[in-house]
Amino acid sequence: MSADGGAGAGAFLRGRDVTGDLTLDVDAVVVGTGAGGSVALRELARAGLSAVALEEGAWSTSRDFDQREDHMLPLLFQEAGGRATEDMAIRVLQGRGVGGSTVHNTNLCKRTPAAILDLWARRHAVSGASAADLAPAFDAIERDLSVSEITAPMRNANNELLRKGCEALGWRGGPLRHNRVGCQQSGFCELGCAYDAKQNALKVMLPQAVAAGARVYSDVEAVRVLHDGARATGVEAIAHDGAGAPRARVTVRARVVVLAASAVGSAALARRSGLPDPSGQLGRGLRLHPGGVVAGRFARAIEGWHGIPQSYECTEHLSFDEGSDRRVWIVPAFAHPIGAAAELPGFGAAHMAAMRTYPNLGVLTAMVHDETSGEVLAGDDGRPVLRYAMTDADRAQLARGLAACARLLLAAGAEHVTIPAIPPRRVSSVAELEALDLSFVRPHAVPLTAVHPMGTMRMGDDPKTSVVSSTGEHHQVKGLFVSDGSLFPTSLGAPPQISIYAFALHLAPHVVARARG
Amino acid sequence: MREASGKAAGAGASASASAGAGAGAGATAGRISRRRLLGGVAAALVLGGAGIALVRTRGYALPEGRTLAALTAWQFIVVQHAARRIAAPDRADDASIPSADDLDVAGFVDGWMARMPAAVRRDLGRFLGYVEHVAPLGAGHASRFSRLPAAAQDEVLASVEASSSDLLRAGFDGLKSLVFMGYYRDPRTWGILGYDGPLVNRPRGGWR
Repeated sequence: MSADGGAGAGAFLRGRDVTGDLTLDVDAVVVGTGAGGSVALRELARAGLSAVALEEGAWSTSRDFDQREDHMLPLLFQEAGGRATEDMAIRVLQGRGVGGSTVHNTNLCKRTPAAILDLWARRHAVSGASAADLAPAFDAIERDLSVSEITAPMRNANNELLRKGCEALGWRGGPLRHNRVGCQQSGFCELGCAYDAKQNALKVMLPQAVAAGARVYSDVEAVRVLHDGARATGVEAIAHDGAGAPRARVTVRARVVVLAASAVGSAALARRSGLPDPSGQLGRGLRLHPGGVVAGRFARAIEGWHGIPQSYECTEHLSFDEGSDRRVWIVPAFAHPIGAAAELPGFGAAHMAAMRTYPNLGVLTAMVHDETSGEVLAGDDGRPVLRYAMTDADRAQLARGLAACARLLLAAGAEHVTIPAIPPRRVSSVAELEALDLSFVRPHAVPLTAVHPMGTMRMGDDPKTSVVSSTGEHHQVKGLFVSDGSLFPTSLGAPPQISIYAFALHLAPHVVARARG
Repeated sequence: MREASGKAAGAGASASASAGAGAGAGATAGRISRRRLLGGVAAALVLGGAGIALVRTRGYALPEGRTLAALTAWQFIVVQHAARRIAAPDRADDASIPSADDLDVAGFVDGWMARMPAAVRRDLGRFLGYVEHVAPLGAGHASRFSRLPAAAQDEVLASVEASSSDLLRAGFDGLKSLVFMGYYRDPRTWGILGYDGPLVNRPRGGWR
């Protein structure tokens, strides 16, 4: 079967419904449907170009999100939530399915810090991406996604603990901005929004793209970028039956290929495709924002699973100055029972006894604005390999962050705080905390999670040090663009979704121009 | 408080990770991946008793009527025993708290693993082999894990959880996560925690 993807024929389509091998001839194909891919697709379609997006996961809607961890992990997360770094030290939660990670994230909207953009210009030869250059894109995205501050009446008890701790210590903190409208404050954001309150790629950007004529294929996994070494010519893909079994071959011939499958997925696909890589930088520079948690036990019930999960931040230990030794971002982090049970140390009856204090726990996470440079490889079994060996400097930041979380929880009134480890470290006072030897804090010794992969196909004008130019186009393969967190030359030190959306919009005119031929 | 330090070693590790000329798709081909290396270590650990393991995969009887989707019979039995200990109920003030068997946690793990890639199933199988045949020796028990009394099984699992091997600790964390997913997925456990559960499809009288 062969078909064109002409503008005006927009639709959400499922690979599981494809009845035979399929060939599409279009102007542009986008791999991935998260923040970056959805915007690129929309802009291509709005320019009157024929465009299709390929998404390896399923197309789900709010009716499918039943707020159960065991159901949503396989539906919404890569490897059913089991993706991890190669050494299994850091769990890496990434979205899978139409809308990508915007479906399960907690809606945080922070612009790329100006100091980071300045660093990229000075050290990484990124041009045309100053705060002023990007402001129109941020403004437009924030309008599209109805971004607004979460005000005090909407703040749940766990977030209130962080505010109280910050104020008691005189530490810098403040409310966060989110993309949500009509929020029911159910607290199940990370399992998909059953109420359609998330103004994300699934609800906003992709329907706009489809309305403009784009086609979105779910259950279709890109396996290779087609190119001749100098120009991109399309994508080879496999349509799955919804349970992972191959169903048909899909070939998309296009003048433009946009990689938007995340810093992990895009880099792995690029490596599998044998792209020229004279700089040797393809797949390198992986940043994760690895984070650990600290739990405080309070005399009163907190019930942190109720309400908006992350509406307040502490930035006392976060500086974007080059070479800073304050590289920790602190936000609340509360898990539902399965996630909480996995994080709590130990097992058996003692573990259950600890779980029975669940309603009285307040939990914070410290994420490291990391300098560690990891790498994404294409695994032999088709799964990407994430190689990431945390530097001692980042380990020190992690320790600093966990100690800061403990201080905040104590200042907020915790009876005692626990750093999950084997054995767990529990302290009941600042004096005990200050006496605690934190040299045990390292990967494998404390549970670590990362939700912000970045880097791996970084942008810049110097082909010797970057993979794509400041327009997002591959230095050697014309017509191949990147439109996701792979672009970022360093860690952001901030949640990346709004930066990814905005960079996709900022760079879209270059994509459109190339697709027009 | 004292924090971990040592920037020089960290910088070295970072530089080392960023260097090299592995290009494009060939980057994996010419190098021994750490995953493979770690997998090899795991295999060596597990198959340190390879002969034992091969012989001792016999003699594991499944409960009547049980069919398996992903695990082998011996793997299922080991998961069942491990789940009983990992999710052992705290019945100090409530004798009605369900056990892992009550909630068929091992059956859940079998079903979950059926949807996992073959490499993940293989890794779990290796780890279960280690728990069953090798870890008891390290904890001073000359018997299979699945034939030990509960207290001894706890000792074995605690030794794995606190192992000096990062890989074995990660394996334990993986098994623990699977077991707790099988246990705390069940609404009958939510009341124990004071958790009221999802709003979607919530029964009129609440989850029980």
